[in-house]
Amino acid sequence: MVRLVSGMTVTERQIALVVLLALSLIGLAMAAGGRGDPMGAQGFVVLVFSVGLAFAVMAGYYAPEPDESRLTRYYDDPTKVGIVLTVIWAVVGMAVGVWVASLLAWPELTFVDQAWASFGRLRPVHTSGVIFGFGGNALIATSFHVLQRTSRARLPDQFTPWFVLIGYNLFCIVAASGYLMGITQSKEYAEPEWYADIWLVIVWVVYFLLYLRTLARRKEPHIYVANWYYMAFILVVAVLHIVNNLAVPVSWGHAKSYSLFSGVQDAMTEWWYGHNAVAFFLTSGFLGMMYYYLPKRAGRPIFSYRLSIISFWGITFFYMWAGSHHLHYTALPQWVQTLGMSFSIMLLVPSWASAGNALATLNGAWHKVRDDAVLRFMMVAAVFYGLSTFEGSFMAIRPVNSLSHYTDWTVGHVHAGALGWVAMITFGSLYALVPWMWKRETMYSPKLIEVHFWLALAGTIVYVFAMWNSGIIQGLMWRTYNDGGTLAYSFLDSVEAMHPYYIARAFGGLLFLSGAVVCASNVWLTIRAAQRERRGETGTDVPIVAGAMQAGE
Amino acid sequence: MEIAHDVVVAFSKSWGLFYLVGFSLCVVAYAYWPGNRKAFTRAKMSVLDTDDRPLGDRPLGPEA
Amino acid sequence: MPEFFHRKIERNAIGFVLAIVGVASIGGFVEIAPLFTIHQTVEDAPDMRLYTPLELAGRNIYIREGCYACHSQMIRTLRDEVERYGPYSLAVESKYDHPMLWGSKRTGPDLARIGDKYSDAWHVRHMINPRDVVPESIMPRYGWLARNELRVDDLGEHLAAQRDVGVPYTQAMVDNATRDAYGQATPDSDAAAGVSERYGAATQVRAFDGDPSRVTEMDALVAYLQILGRLTEAPYKQQSTAAGE
Ligand code: HEM
Ligand code: HEM
Repeated sequence: MVRLVSGMTVTERQIALVVLLALSLIGLAMAAGGRGDPMGAQGFVVLVFSVGLAFAVMAGYYAPEPDESRLTRYYDDPTKVGIVLTVIWAVVGMAVGVWVASLLAWPELTFVDQAWASFGRLRPVHTSGVIFGFGGNALIATSFHVLQRTSRARLPDQFTPWFVLIGYNLFCIVAASGYLMGITQSKEYAEPEWYADIWLVIVWVVYFLLYLRTLARRKEPHIYVANWYYMAFILVVAVLHIVNNLAVPVSWGHAKSYSLFSGVQDAMTEWWYGHNAVAFFLTSGFLGMMYYYLPKRAGRPIFSYRLSIISFWGITFFYMWAGSHHLHYTALPQWVQTLGMSFSIMLLVPSWASAGNALATLNGAWHKVRDDAVLRFMMVAAVFYGLSTFEGSFMAIRPVNSLSHYTDWTVGHVHAGALGWVAMITFGSLYALVPWMWKRETMYSPKLIEVHFWLALAGTIVYVFAMWNSGIIQGLMWRTYNDGGTLAYSFLDSVEAMHPYYIARAFGGLLFLSGAVVCASNVWLTIRAAQRERRGETGTDVPIVAGAMQAGE
Repeated sequence: MEIAHDVVVAFSKSWGLFYLVGFSLCVVAYAYWPGNRKAFTRAKMSVLDTDDRPLGDRPLGPEA
Repeated sequence: MPEFFHRKIERNAIGFVLAIVGVASIGGFVEIAPLFTIHQTVEDAPDMRLYTPLELAGRNIYIREGCYACHSQMIRTLRDEVERYGPYSLAVESKYDHPMLWGSKRTGPDLARIGDKYSDAWHVRHMINPRDVVPESIMPRYGWLARNELRVDDLGEHLAAQRDVGVPYTQAMVDNATRDAYGQATPDSDAAAGVSERYGAATQVRAFDGDPSRVTEMDALVAYLQILGRLTEAPYKQQSTAAGE
C-alpha cells in the first residue's frame, strides 16, 4: 500500500484524500438520507470503502516523492492492481456462477431462508461479477498497459488511473452488494440503480479523458488498432449506459427509480443496450486485447492490419442495428425485427474477419501454439469467438430464434462467448502480462498454466454442450404436438428433462472455476516470488535493472 | 405521426443502403490506399518492439 | 478523399471519437427514435387500467427478487405459445410498465396471463414452498414475503415518480396511495371503498395472503400476480385462435 502511494506526488496524494473525503461525505449523506431504505445500507458501503482507502493513502502520505526519473518509465502500478482485482473478481464471480448453477439443479440447496441467498438475487451477482468485475477490470488493466506501450508515452499523471480503477471497483461493489439487498432496476446487464449509474458516468468520463490525454502525448503518429477497439469500448458503452439508464428516482433517499421508458420503447432501448454491451464490452474491448497480446506473445505481427481496420468499422457500424434480434415475434413492430435480423447476419463478416485474422497470425507458428499454453488460450479464444458469432448470427434468424429464445440455448451461446472467448482471451493475456509487469522471465509455474488450460477447455465444452442439448430439447418440447393436435408436453415435463443437463453444467462450471483458482494461485506465487527476488537482490523497491529488462519473451 | 414511420422505413431501405455502401467503400479505400501502406506496416511491426520505455524528450530518457 | 479524411481524423483523436460515436449511433437512432413517435406501435386500449399502489408495490417486489430472470411476460405470436399461455402479448399491455418485464429466459413458465388462473391461497402456498404444490418445481422458496410487513408509507412518492415518467396517476391517487394499498388488502376497513372508486369497480379488493389483519409483501405480490394479463381485455377480444406464422 505504502509503495503504491509513494508512486504519486504529494499533490496527487492530497487530491486523492480530498476525493475520498468527498466520497465518504456522500456515503454519509446516503446513509443518513436513506434511513429505512436499502439506500442507507449502500451509503455505509460507500463510507467504509472510502474511509478505508483514505487510511491507506494516509499511511503512505509521508513516503518520499517519486523523482523525475519516473517519467522515463511507464506507469504500471494501476495495471498491476487491476490484474489482481481481475483475478479476485474471476474467482468470486465464477464461484457464484457455480453456486447458482447448482441451485437450478438442486433448488433445496439454499441453506438459509433469507432473501439475499435466493437465486434471483444471486444471479445478477454472477453476471455483473464476471462481466463487470472480471471483464471490466481486465479491460481497464490491459488498456492502461496497451495504451502506454503503443503510444510510447507514459500516462499523463499518477492520480487519474487510480481514480478510474478504484472508482470502477466501487461501482462494482455497490452494485453487487445492492443485488443482495434487493436493489435492482431489473434491466439485464444494467441492474444497478441510479446513484451507482451516475457514479459510473463520472468514472467513465475520466477514463475517456485519460485515454485522450495519453493519446495526445503519443510519439507515434498512427494510433495502433488495439486502441481503436478500446476507444470504441469506452465511448459506446458510455452512450449506451447513459441512454438506457435514464430514470426518475422515487426520492433522493430512495434507492428505487422508475425507468423513463416503458413497454416497447423500453424493450427496444434495453436490448439496443444489451446487445451492444455484448458488442462493445464483451467484444470490442477484448478484440483490442487480442490485437496487442496475441502478436506480442507469438512474436509475429498481426496477419493483416488492413483487415483489422475493416472489421473495426464493420463491427462498430453493424452491431448497433442488431439489438432487435432479442425481440423476435414479440410486440415489437416487425420491420424493426427484420432490420435487426439482417444486420445480425451481416455482422458475421467482420466477426469472422477478426477471428480469421487472429488464427492466420498463428499460421506458421503452430509449434509455438503446441508448446505454449498461453498462446493456446489465445488461439482457443479466437476459435470460440468465431463459433459464438456464427451461432449468434444463426440464432438471430427469426425461425431459429423462435426455437432458441427463452431456452438454455441462449445460455449456451452466452457462455460459449463468455467462457470460450472473453475468459480465454483474458487468461491468455494475463499470463503474458503478469511476468512483464513483475519483471520476471515467466510465470511462477508454466505447468499450472497448462493445468488451467485443460480445465478451462474441458469446463467450457461440458458447459456449452450441456446447454445446447438442454436448450434444444426444451425448445422442441414446448412446441411438440400430439397426433390429436394438442401440446404433447406440459411445461413441467420440460423442467424435469433439464435436470441432468443442469447437473452437467454445474460440473463443467466447477472445472472452469477450478481453473480460475489455479490461475489465481499462479499469479499470487509469481508476485510473491518477484517480491522476494527484488528484496533479496537489491533491497530497494526499484526494478532490478530498469531498461535492460525487456518486455516480450 | 404515421409519416415518421413511413419516412424512416423508406430511409433505411434507400438512404440507409447507400450510406452503408458508401461507408464501406470509404473504409476499404482507406485500408488499401497505397500511401497508407507504410504507416500500417510500421504500426503492425511496432508492437513487436521490445524496448519497454516511453519515447521522447524526458529528462533522463537514455535512448529516443 | 476517404484516405485523407481518415488519416486526418485518426491523427486527431477527437475527430476519431466523433467518427466512432457517429457511426455507432445511427443504428440505434433509426430503430428506436420512431418507436417514440409512431402511435401505431402501441394499439389503443381505452379500457387499460393503472396498477393500484398495492399492485405496484407487488411489481417492485417481483423486480427486487429477480423473478424476471426466470419468467418472461411476453407471449410471442407463435401457435404453441398462444395455446400454452393464452392470447399473444400486445404492446399496449406494457405501456405503463416502467421498466418492462418481458424477460429473456423461461426457466419457469411465462406469466403474462397468470392473473386469475390460480387462487390466492395457491399462490401463497406456492411462494412459501413451491414444492408443496408442484413437486417437480425448481423455483426457490420465498418465505420471507409472508413475514415481512409491506412498506406503504412512501407509496405516494412512488406514484408521483411514476407520474413523472408518464403514467397518468391523478393527484387523488397519489395523495391516497398509502391508504389505498392498505384498503385493497383489508376489505373490511373503511379504506377499501376508495380503491374501487379510484381504480375501477373491477379492482380486486381482498386479503390476498389470507390474513386481513396485516398487509404483507405477500399481499402485494399476489395482488400483482392476479392482475397480470388483466389490465385490459383488448388481447382477448382482438384475437380468436388465429396465431402468427
Ligand atoms: C464458472 C463458470 C460459470 C458458471 C458455472 C456459470 C453459470 C451461470 C448460470 C447458472 C447462469 C444462469 C442461467 C439461467 O438463469 O438459466 C449464468 C448466466 C450468465 N452468465 Fe455465467 N457462468 C460461468 C461463467 C461466466 C462467465 C465467465 C461469464 C462472462 C464473462 C458469464 C456470463 C453470464 C451471463 C451474461 C449470464 C446471463 C445469461 C442470460 O441472461 O441469458 N458466466 N451463468
Ligand atoms: C455476430 C455476433 C453475434 C450475434 C449476431 C449474436 C446474436 C445473439 C442472439 C440472436 C441472441 C439471442 C437473443 C434471444 O433470443 O434472447 C444472443 C444472446 C446473447 N449473446 Fe450473442 N451474438 C453474437 C455474439 C456474441 C458474443 C461474442 C457474445 C459474448 C460474450 C455474446 C453474448 C450474448 C449474451 C450475453 C446473450 C444473452 C442475452 C440475454 O440475456 O438474453 N454474443 N446473441
